[in-house]
Amino acid sequence: MSAVISAENLEKTFHVGGRTVHAVRGVSLAVSAGEALGIVGESGCGKTTTARMLLRLEDPTAGRITFEGTDITATRGAALLAFRAKAQLVFQNPFDALNPRFTIGRSLAEPLRNFGVAKSEHEARIAAAMARVRLTPAADWLDRHPHELSGGQLQRVVLARSLLPGPKLIVADEPVSMLDVSVRAGILNLLRAARDELGLAAIYISHDLALIRYVCERTLVMYLGRVVEEGPTPALIERPRHPYTKALVAAVPVPHVMQDRAPLPIKGALSDAPLSGPGCAFRDRCPLAFDRCAAEAPPLRNIGEGRKLACHLGDEA
Amino acid sequence: MTLLQLRDFQVHYASRAGIVRAVDGVDLDVPAGSITGLVGESGCGKSTLGRGLMGVLPDAARIAGGSAVFEGRDLLGLSARARRDVRWRRMSFIPQTAMNALDPVLRLRAQMLEVLIERGGLGRAAASARAEELFRMVGLDPARLADYPHQFSGGMRQRASIALALALDPALVIADEPVTALDVIVQRQVLDVMRDLQARLGLAMILVTHDMAVVAYACDRVAVMYAGRIVESGLAADVLERPRHPYTMGLTHAFPDVHGGTGELVPIDGAPPVLINPKPGCRFAPRCPFAQPRCHTETPVLEAGVACFRAAEAPALRAAAALPATWGAG
Repeated sequence: MSAVISAENLEKTFHVGGRTVHAVRGVSLAVSAGEALGIVGESGCGKTTTARMLLRLEDPTAGRITFEGTDITATRGAALLAFRAKAQLVFQNPFDALNPRFTIGRSLAEPLRNFGVAKSEHEARIAAAMARVRLTPAADWLDRHPHELSGGQLQRVVLARSLLPGPKLIVADEPVSMLDVSVRAGILNLLRAARDELGLAAIYISHDLALIRYVCERTLVMYLGRVVEEGPTPALIERPRHPYTKALVAAVPVPHVMQDRAPLPIKGALSDAPLSGPGCAFRDRCPLAFDRCAAEAPPLRNIGEGRKLACHLGDEA
Repeated sequence: MTLLQLRDFQVHYASRAGIVRAVDGVDLDVPAGSITGLVGESGCGKSTLGRGLMGVLPDAARIAGGSAVFEGRDLLGLSARARRDVRWRRMSFIPQTAMNALDPVLRLRAQMLEVLIERGGLGRAAASARAEELFRMVGLDPARLADYPHQFSGGMRQRASIALALALDPALVIADEPVTALDVIVQRQVLDVMRDLQARLGLAMILVTHDMAVVAYACDRVAVMYAGRIVESGLAADVLERPRHPYTMGLTHAFPDVHGGTGELVPIDGAPPVLINPKPGCRFAPRCPFAQPRCHTETPVLEAGVACFRAAEAPALRAAAALPATWGAG
């Protein structure tokens, strides 16, 4: 199936206080209709910057983004507006995402107005979106203000708003991290259902591998701006190949008393000043690093079964 | 030995709409030398309970009743001065965001010395040596005592606030969501530091968290809180593997397990009740798939570690709770 969105060799460089930060280095990805891709990694790994570039909220320093077969890397004006209707962001914090002075109905009508949908269609489309997030009947909710809703209800409204313009792609950056445990499952189930029923391409950004496992078929693991491993999510979690992925998986606590409490196979912390020069960016934290890791950066290469790996250890890793 | 014993502990907030019974009759025993997880969703009162014990409640809140016997003395009967003395020396607090524990304009050394000298009564040289020892204990380089908090990463700041909490060798540390804001690898490293120190120093901890997996990883005991009350408590192994309260059962199915495949997660529909003039009856009853008429009129008390009229039927309820249909669809 052809990809809804694809990116080739995305790069993003920020200049901060005389320092150059390579936030994203050569990330490539593709997501098809009905597929969900997860991007995991720690804060500062470049996952959010990658998502913002895909949504054209941030201009890439280099690389190319293709959406439904059209190069949109530098699209402006009316074409960019049309893209925005089709590529929607689901906000992380539902408490900030809606204007507190607007009724829910007004917040939902706003994107329809922005994207030029005829007013006569608003009511029916809003009702359909509210049904999709199980806030029914819509009339019970539209006159309320955000402070009258719980976090879970607000996140449903935020999701409905994202679906209203009829997107082909949704990007969710930590979609449930601000929500209570008891309602997270409901939101994740709605996101999954919307993806399946509408055939959306979805990209989830999270540091939580358990969440990614639940919603994404395929996952990219990022470390300091690079993709270090990629593959089908279950295989990636049950048989991680990159030493960083291994540490990431081992670090996730599981809700059972019997669990592995062995020290993590990783050294130190994410350094403030990333390693410069050639070599693998993970080498200072890798328990298995050897000479070659300092001399040359391992390229991301195919290792079969739809998996990719950037590590010199290859099969032994 | 019971280090801390709460009976009918109550904390109320004044609000325009009336008195909010945020903590409404909590019974809890914290044994010495154990880690107790205090778990529940936001608004259940778990943070208020921790802050009430520590005496760091906001102005609108006050301890409204009950007893909190700590090391043989009821904290609520102590003078303000005596309570301040217990705080820090015998009982200390780690807030969720380390930035709330650390002063941004002071170097870490100055902050550690302030606690050690002003509150601990140490001399300057002894305090300096102790500050370095504490930094080493939490896995920080003592040279970094010369830094300001903003020069630290999130995980390092949390380690520093743990060092600060341990400064005067307390018997009990209350940690309020200490790893929630951290990345998963750093979270694990901080939990390992806490577990290691707890074991080495033999201290007791109350770990306030919303995350059942964190409880499973780090805690010996767990108390599940709902709408201001403890609904289930006991050994983590028992409560997590064989929950007896429907709310605990719900929580265990609401969480994705990284190794658990993609079986359907089950949300607990509805929201906790408002705690202004709460109605009689079990507070979870409106959301409980197993509620009977009696649950809406009579209030179950915490007996043998569970507050549920149907506790004797727990095995059957557990089997039913594993089915998404039991909780209604999404």
